[in-house]
Amino acid sequence: MKRTLVAALVAVATVQTVYPQAPAPAASKARAHVEALASERYEGRLAGSAGERLAADYIVGELQRIGARPLPGQRDFRLPFEFTAGTRDGGSTIEVIGSGASGPRRFAARPDVQALSFSDNGNVTGPVVFAGYGIVVPESQEFGYDSYATLDVKDKVVLVLRYFPEDADPKTRGVLARYADLRYKAMAARQRGARAMLVVTGPSSPNAGETIPMSFDTALAGSGIVAASISARVSEPLFAAAGQTLALAQKALDSGNPHAAGFAIPDASVAVGTVVVREKQSAANIAGYLPATTAVSALNKPWVALGAHYDHLGRGTHGNSLADKADAGKVHFGADDNASGTAAVLAAGEALAAQPRRRHVMLEFWSGEELGLIGSSHFVNAPAVPLDQLAAYINFDMVGRMQDNKLTVQATGTSPVWGRLLEQANIAAGFELLVQQDPYQPTDVASFNQAGIPSLNFFTGTHTDYHRPSDTADKIEYEDLDRIVAFAVAIVRRLGDTEEAPPFTKVDQQTQSGGGRAGVRVFTGTIPDYSTEVKGLLLSGVIGGGPAEQAGLQKGDVIVEIAGQTIANIYDYTYALEVLKIGEPVKVVYLRSGERKETTLTPGARK
Amino acid sequence: MVFVPWGVSKVSSQLSPEDYHGDNSGMRSLGRCVIIVLVAASGLVPAAGQPPADPNQERDFLSRVRRLTIEGKRAGEGYWSPDGTRLVFQSEREPGNPFYQIYTLDLETGDAKRISPGVGKTTCAFFRPNSDEILFSSTHADPKSKQYQDDELTFRASGKERRYSWDYDPEMDIWAFSEKTGALKALTTAKGYDAEASYSPDGQWVAFSSMRDAYGRALSPVEQKMLEENPSYFGEIYIMRADGSGQKRLTTEPGYDGGPFFTPDGSRIVWRRFDERGLIADVWTMKPDGADARKITDFGSMSWAPYAHPSGEYFIFASNKLGFENFELFIVDTQGVKEPVRVTYSDGFDGLPVPSPDGTELAWTSSRAGGSAGQLFLARWNHEKAREALKNAPPRRPAKPS
Repeated sequence: MKRTLVAALVAVATVQTVYPQAPAPAASKARAHVEALASERYEGRLAGSAGERLAADYIVGELQRIGARPLPGQRDFRLPFEFTAGTRDGGSTIEVIGSGASGPRRFAARPDVQALSFSDNGNVTGPVVFAGYGIVVPESQEFGYDSYATLDVKDKVVLVLRYFPEDADPKTRGVLARYADLRYKAMAARQRGARAMLVVTGPSSPNAGETIPMSFDTALAGSGIVAASISARVSEPLFAAAGQTLALAQKALDSGNPHAAGFAIPDASVAVGTVVVREKQSAANIAGYLPATTAVSALNKPWVALGAHYDHLGRGTHGNSLADKADAGKVHFGADDNASGTAAVLAAGEALAAQPRRRHVMLEFWSGEELGLIGSSHFVNAPAVPLDQLAAYINFDMVGRMQDNKLTVQATGTSPVWGRLLEQANIAAGFELLVQQDPYQPTDVASFNQAGIPSLNFFTGTHTDYHRPSDTADKIEYEDLDRIVAFAVAIVRRLGDTEEAPPFTKVDQQTQSGGGRAGVRVFTGTIPDYSTEVKGLLLSGVIGGGPAEQAGLQKGDVIVEIAGQTIANIYDYTYALEVLKIGEPVKVVYLRSGERKETTLTPGARK
Repeated sequence: MVFVPWGVSKVSSQLSPEDYHGDNSGMRSLGRCVIIVLVAASGLVPAAGQPPADPNQERDFLSRVRRLTIEGKRAGEGYWSPDGTRLVFQSEREPGNPFYQIYTLDLETGDAKRISPGVGKTTCAFFRPNSDEILFSSTHADPKSKQYQDDELTFRASGKERRYSWDYDPEMDIWAFSEKTGALKALTTAKGYDAEASYSPDGQWVAFSSMRDAYGRALSPVEQKMLEENPSYFGEIYIMRADGSGQKRLTTEPGYDGGPFFTPDGSRIVWRRFDERGLIADVWTMKPDGADARKITDFGSMSWAPYAHPSGEYFIFASNKLGFENFELFIVDTQGVKEPVRVTYSDGFDGLPVPSPDGTELAWTSSRAGGSAGQLFLARWNHEKAREALKNAPPRRPAKPS
């Protein structure tokens, strides 16, 4: 499962056919797959790595063994794609020109100037306008905050502060935080005609005065503007030219007063040159299919698909590991995430290969999921089988840690048939199903929902080994994994036998709009339980030594209030976290065994 | 203060019990089923709080918990076919109808089949032993029933939400459906809500609850007000033959009597009786002629939906003893000698327990899967553990007088 922003925060026609009960399973096929894929040999299966290629070879071998074929028109099971594996600064520079006697000052070291990862490459020279925090809240939000309201920045270089007003009231911070993402700030500057955006971090913010490390950013689309962060030192002569200092300028804005404005900087200009080097790598999705055993000509959508991502974090070097310091750099085996799902698709494929099939069954294995659903996005954007031929897609991501017979099924809102189909199949399977309509999940099911395909995702819940080297094969519940495979096979059979393909229903996205997110700066060390719907935020664990653990929180606690904001769901929690201050203790109200308790949590810094 | 145990809407589920204060809409119920209770501003809320060191846990009684219903907004009240291969239940899943309809669920194939007409409101179904008949209550004969559906759909489409409630439709009558012929025949026709019906083990008798006492006679001004605000006040237990003949009233106490079921040997009826204000309910039993009424629980809370285990040794029922919104299942011996023993330990609503005919499984309605509405669940039932827990239970403690 991809570590999303949310994760990062915390660290019908009735089928009349009578189906026999699932036959007693032979020795677990899934187990052998998990133990192989989660072994040292595959080194955590990082997209683009040798371990990923070896894992791909394993999957291809298994597909051949069960009699699957490459997709029509393909020679190979491997469907390679290119992606950006990382970005680095290739030599960005900035020169401050004019302003009194000091003369031009040129900076070329990374502590002083660093391109933002999404910057265009280019050289821009021009006068500078300080635009405060550079935040524009869309008019639709009826909030009234526009850093550019009184400024003309056309063809100029915009200088903005990182983050959002530090001393505003929580509600204001909550709103502004949503539009403080650097990409969103860059978009706002570009839309107002600016030629470049410089970002400086004020002294009252975290990481004061420092440039911004070039984050791993797989979303390739350039922002259409030259964008770089600069140190406080670089900004000094600019503020001085306006008779200001960085500290004073920030202070004037930190109350969140929408009428506090930026200003043009007289008698000075800058020349900024950005060089972002994007390292391309190649990874591969794997796809094969089991042809229908009868003619499919009568069916309007003759395909169904099962899929799972097989990539994981490698050694956790891409910023998405939750490993303790002591474990940093070790192989992240990803047994649950997502050797379990990969094994489920292989085992379901093997079972379906032995049965009559009215529809072709596609078996798909994604790479690059952990880096942002790259493989599945690539597939739906350039599908090897036309997507209007695909009746449904079923995804498996983290299905190896079932507890108390609870299986979460997500994305059920994508078609009205799912309720009936799940109900029928679960009579034999007998899970305590937790059903979530929302298809906007941090896994490949989101790509298929985006493509308008009725989809499901199976998930057995998160745990304290999530995205850590301790997610190992010995912790997988194999008997339950086999039951999930049998359940999926029953659903695919029912889907396959239904004349009419399921209709697709669009589910409205629950959250947010607008620009993007500030990103969360604080670290609380909580691990939310995504699989259980409760009123509040249920913790599936806390990170050892983190602020939550120090506050006495533990697995099973339900956070219902933090810093005076009530928490009804994970989104509320996200917003609440956005406005917490590092090092500033806040009251947390939580339920433990139904009893309301309070504690004090002191957020740490997330870099 | 109105509270809906399982039909809690998104809005009301976020209310605390205090939010219901001052709401005078009175006690309501959903068939034998959901009870919505007014707690007056004076505030008689059953004491919340955890009991001291509970020696038991849910998995001692219930194992391999599984969810049976998924389709539709809500479902509940699952009753077993005599051979244990099917359940009959109510569910909001009929396209174009926002109310419950009645379905049978085949526990081998997983297929659900609607047996009610599809129009109007229905509730409270029951298989007739030694027969192809299934009874349920329905308003389909009311010419206005389609209009009510459309009104409700329009209301929901408006995006507004309100607390789920049950309106004791006076046009609700009990019908018997033949699975062989598809024929539907009315067992009751009286004005006033007739529902919560169940057959005797030999299939010859039907016990049910009716609010007919509110009609056909002059009401005092106080009674008239009760009818408008809280019609279930008039609910009494009745009995009739399986063909609808010989209808006879068994209870006369003021306050809602409802949810009658025969004990496995047919010698007694177990039901729940609310006090006059509709605040407290307890489990009672009586002979099928209404004689020898005995109070089995004195639990100082809303204790309702009692159903006998096939062994005849104990009743399973639901109570909010542990917190106003937290209905849990309990068991109590059939003589009411012991203090009831808690069975479920999950957040949200657990109620309407029905053991399988062989006593090894339990079907019940729960909101444990999250969200607001209830769905049907099934689990293995540990009869031996239940016996042992009752054996070790302390003698019944009288509830504190309110």
